[in-house]
Amino acid sequence: MDIISQLQEQVNSIAAITFNVFGTLQRDAPPVQLSPNYPEPKQLSAALVKAAKQFDALVAALPLSDGGEEAQLKIIAQLQMENHVIGQELHKQLEAAEKELKQVQELFGQAADNCLNLK
Amino acid sequence: MATATYPPPPPYYRLYKDYSESPSSVPEPPSPIEGSYVCFGGNYTTEDVLPSLEEQGVPQLYPNDSNVDYKKELRSLNRELQLHILELADVLVERPSQYAKRIGDISSVFKNLHHLLNSLRPHQARATLIHVMELQIQQRKQAVEDIKRRREEVQRLLKDAFITLDGQ
Repeated sequence: MDIISQLQEQVNSIAAITFNVFGTLQRDAPPVQLSPNYPEPKQLSAALVKAAKQFDALVAALPLSDGGEEAQLKIIAQLQMENHVIGQELHKQLEAAEKELKQVQELFGQAADNCLNLK
Repeated sequence: MATATYPPPPPYYRLYKDYSESPSSVPEPPSPIEGSYVCFGGNYTTEDVLPSLEEQGVPQLYPNDSNVDYKKELRSLNRELQLHILELADVLVERPSQYAKRIGDISSVFKNLHHLLNSLRPHQARATLIHVMELQIQQRKQAVEDIKRRREEVQRLLKDAFITLDGQ
């Protein structure tokens, strides 16, 4: 999954862990203490901190090369020109190769005819 | 068991009676809709633009309108989010009636985060385009090289063949 979607998923899971933490705290709180160990052992808060750290790690891994939209558009235009040039050369080579193929096929036909006639 | 029949074809099929003889005498299909349209009672617009935060009534927590440093802002928003969560926990302990404001703050931080991430999407699209174009250029160069090599091989084989034939 691409990194922006991962970041979005991470934000949503931070939100989910947050409301789960507060919900659990609220549910098990006194006056009627529902859970024998209140507040819960540190798993929930550790999960929250871990999720936030993971978010930071993902942000650090963002391949945010380039400054700005104009630089990218310039690169795209340049690549487009290069692509066009290479496309033309490819087309030329392809045409020449097809011509030679036809020549070879013709020669082969003549040779085969000669073989058949001489037999 | 009652079975329902299919609905009848739309009544303007009669206009297309002479299609096989004269394809230009029949009405054109309707052109694509531009602007906003109504679909099942809801208004949609055909423009794919990300609505700015002010339009959604959420305060914008990160500064600057162009060339935002995404990494720095995302990281600072993350820290601010955690601070708000701790604040909420404190408020719940000391002054439980003031939770609503804190929750509003937390939700606005989340909305800012999502808005930042969504505004990265066009950048990602352009980067993908660049990547695909580079791949295509590489493939074309490879193909040109291959064709050149094959042609040279063919020439060589033909020359050898001619030499063998002449030597016979």
